[in-house]
Amino acid sequence: MADDKDVLRDVWFGRIPTCFALYQDEVTEKEAEPFYLLLPRVSYLTLVTDKVKKHFLKAVKPEDVEEMWFEYEGTPLKWHYPIGVLFDLHALNTALPWSITVHFKNFPERDLLHCLSNSVIEAHFMSCIKEADALKHKSQVINDMQKKDHKQLWMGLQNDKFDQFWAMNRKLMEYPTEEGGFRYIPFRIYQTMSDRPFIQKLFRPASPEGHTHTLGDLLKEMYPAAIAHDGDAKKYQVLIQGIEPLLETPLQWLSEHLSHPDNFLHVCILPVPTD
Amino acid sequence: MAGAGSSGRSIGRTTLISHSEEGYLKKTSLRSVTITSNNAAESGVPEQADPHPTLEEKLSAGDVSSDVRSDLEEDDACVQAAASGVVLQHEYHVLFSCSFGVPVLYFRVFDLEGRSLCLEQVWDIVRRNSRMRLQQSPWNTITQQEHPMLGQPFFVLHPCKTEEFMGPVVRAAEAENRKVNYVVTWLSVVGPLVGLELALSYSTLLQPALCPQ
Repeated sequence: MADDKDVLRDVWFGRIPTCFALYQDEVTEKEAEPFYLLLPRVSYLTLVTDKVKKHFLKAVKPEDVEEMWFEYEGTPLKWHYPIGVLFDLHALNTALPWSITVHFKNFPERDLLHCLSNSVIEAHFMSCIKEADALKHKSQVINDMQKKDHKQLWMGLQNDKFDQFWAMNRKLMEYPTEEGGFRYIPFRIYQTMSDRPFIQKLFRPASPEGHTHTLGDLLKEMYPAAIAHDGDAKKYQVLIQGIEPLLETPLQWLSEHLSHPDNFLHVCILPVPTD
Repeated sequence: MAGAGSSGRSIGRTTLISHSEEGYLKKTSLRSVTITSNNAAESGVPEQADPHPTLEEKLSAGDVSSDVRSDLEEDDACVQAAASGVVLQHEYHVLFSCSFGVPVLYFRVFDLEGRSLCLEQVWDIVRRNSRMRLQQSPWNTITQQEHPMLGQPFFVLHPCKTEEFMGPVVRAAEAENRKVNYVVTWLSVVGPLVGLELALSYSTLLQPALCPQ
């Protein structure tokens, strides 16, 4: 359907207006102006912030420069989560632009993975794609692709090339007609209220009897508290790509259209803000 | 026999940690290991200013805390630090990957001040422990990843090739009508790469566990 293809573009080109400011304690005599940037929802912080680094290096003494890392309101931001997921999880209901603090010292070893080059991001990205395909196709599609095809997926993301990316990614979104969908749906459910980083389990797109599973069915199984019962006020927002899809939406459709380039459906559950 | 570059006995305790209905196996051990200095330039990683003294420098500066030393002696483990050896705490977790249907080994290594080793230092230890070269592809090697239950950085031996080497073992055992403990067998292959040696008693005393489907 023509409409569905538009969804793919809307997801790919989603942007978050962000304001980067240097951590106060690291500011030296040279004033560091805040730096504004539109961040792609589907990319990773360390992949798209070279300009940010260049800008703030001017204000910091070279001997004080270690690995750059980001923080929002005291929480170190995990670069290996897609940017849109970080925003939805931490700052969705706050005023734009998203205000991120930049650090060059005191890297939080216990909280963040190191990211010393783009090849680390590539390895992480491809690892997610491989895991997603293990769930969807028992790794058959990804293993049938050549090295240059894998490279094309990465280059498409790195260079923000929708067509280049989807020329390959569409293969990962196919399934045998008789199956009716993927083997299992690759998803992760995040919530800020728990110690556990995310929930990820096996879940099929349809029941053994052939009933299509919806977003509501997934939540009923993985996080039943997120579904308000009749008459009760809604306690939680359930977000995918920054929007709240209807709970009746088929999971297979969500997986094909609202996944991130890593082929995972990233679902954020937030408590409804009390004004 | 521990691989080149490590000496001394391992003091370890294996515990089963339960977190709701999913759990993981955890083992910590203290071992003396020889660490070479950071080879950042060789591995093609852009050089970063390293403000922290290397572990070797700290040891030679007499930085190993004395109460840890006396604990070790009490346990009669007699960890013999090699001339340039450093005592490190190793923590190993075995989790099950539902995506790949195989167990996965997560580990981290700290000095006695709680500072973790970096990836280059871990690769160095692994290189000296492995008799076969780990393939260069990033998916088969050791990378830093987030522990799925603790949310903290760990090193991980990527699981996607596990089925390749475990498959024949399981099938051979089935053909001979012999039981195989999947986790112990798997761990006996991957463990030594990262300094995790299993005592023989693991194989002789444990009931064989069910093989994953």
